[in-house]
Amino acid sequence: MSYTFQFGVLAQYQDEILNGIWLTIKLSVLSILLGSAAGVVLASIRSVKGGAARFLVDAYVEIIRNTPFLVQLFIVYFGLPGVGLRVGADTAALIGMTINLAAYSTEIIRAGIEAVHKSQIEAGEALGFTRFQIYRHVIIVPAIAKVYPALCSQFVLMMLASSICSAISTHELAASAAFVESQTYRSFEVYIVVTLIYLALALALRACLALVGMWLFGRRVARRTMTSLPEVQA
Amino acid sequence: MKILNYVRTTLTAIAIGIASLAATAEASATTLNDIVSRGSVRIGVLTGAPPMGMVDEKGNPTGYDVDVANLIGGYLSLPVELVPLTPPARIPALQTGKVDFLVATLAPTGERAKTVMFTQPYSAFNMDIISGPDQKFASLADLKGKRVAVNRGSSQETALRKAAVPGMQIVVFEDDSTSAQALIAGQADAVALPSTVGEAIIKQRPDAGLQVGFTFFQQGNSMATKMQDFELRQWLNTAIYLMKISGDLDKVATKWTGRPMPTLPSF
Repeated sequence: MSYTFQFGVLAQYQDEILNGIWLTIKLSVLSILLGSAAGVVLASIRSVKGGAARFLVDAYVEIIRNTPFLVQLFIVYFGLPGVGLRVGADTAALIGMTINLAAYSTEIIRAGIEAVHKSQIEAGEALGFTRFQIYRHVIIVPAIAKVYPALCSQFVLMMLASSICSAISTHELAASAAFVESQTYRSFEVYIVVTLIYLALALALRACLALVGMWLFGRRVARRTMTSLPEVQA
Repeated sequence: MKILNYVRTTLTAIAIGIASLAATAEASATTLNDIVSRGSVRIGVLTGAPPMGMVDEKGNPTGYDVDVANLIGGYLSLPVELVPLTPPARIPALQTGKVDFLVATLAPTGERAKTVMFTQPYSAFNMDIISGPDQKFASLADLKGKRVAVNRGSSQETALRKAAVPGMQIVVFEDDSTSAQALIAGQADAVALPSTVGEAIIKQRPDAGLQVGFTFFQQGNSMATKMQDFELRQWLNTAIYLMKISGDLDKVATKWTGRPMPTLPSF
């Protein structure tokens, strides 16, 4: 097979692609902020034994983690208008991504909370910490530090999964690519370029998350975030 | 024995060679007399594009094209050999003489007219703008500032982008049914659909109150013959004329598309 690559035709669609990149970045950053914040709250609720709130959080996490992201997006975009809640495609994408990411981060952070040994909490009590101080200094911050690399992997996966939002007419990077492809019929070239852009975005996101990790939890956590290597216990 | 085998193989190869030469020679021109003396007519029909051409549950070709092809066979008083063809296979099958002519939902275009000869249109579909119950559009100008859902890469997307109505927003989905879903869910003001698809959706979702606004373009489809088959084309044009005035063509159109054949300019 001989195929003549023509990347030149893509140059005139530069603005289209840049707009797509910008929306992908916006959706990813916002959903990461909202989703992880919700994850911290929900994981805290989930780590409390018993109660209706815990049951609801459990149900939410299980439903989201066991259904396809595309179906969740369709429900937000096509289903909610049926009950009088109409949101645009970009907002629907953000809602869908946040709901999805919140469920996964809840589960990841919960694992971190469960890894905090009971004796440490008892040590906090012995030192006269208030309940809130124990929760903050002994439970949640060390828990997140432990699972931070896993959390970051989930964030990167979410950024890549944002490409699915093109199915509900959100004009992010994958939709831009599909548009350029349908205009130029140069699918090979378009998707090579877009693959490289996604790769660059994923690496950049990982680097940013490592910097945030260094600032929040120190160098060791940051290094694990960048390389995704399991923590070596000293 | 080995030598005998060799001779047999060679002879077979030569026979195939001669046969294919003959086939090529046949492809050079097809007259009405050739078809009548052969005793059957080979007609290429479209497959995989309901309701124009598809296969039934037994695997036999069926659809608008097949009914028209059988009508033609009736006019010729000859049995019809249907040859189902995918869209890209249609013109090559005609050019290599695999079929005598095409009744395969082929739209006449300037580019295609350089390789095959078209008859009068025998079928057509409308590209419709469909809206919800609370608003109705009568022309492209009405779509100003509206959100119109289309299927990505479709001819309706191309036509709407070309129309470039100021302020109109084209919202792109992966297929016709998702685009229609966007309208039903109120995420778009209108959807552009082929009338055949649009009517099926309106029938299936009577509760959604969808209404056809206007037709923004019409695609006519012609039969096609090889470049040099003037006689055959003239005969087909006459047959189409007869099918039109006898009402047979309208019957086929109503059966498959739910309405009589729209009036199209002829050439």
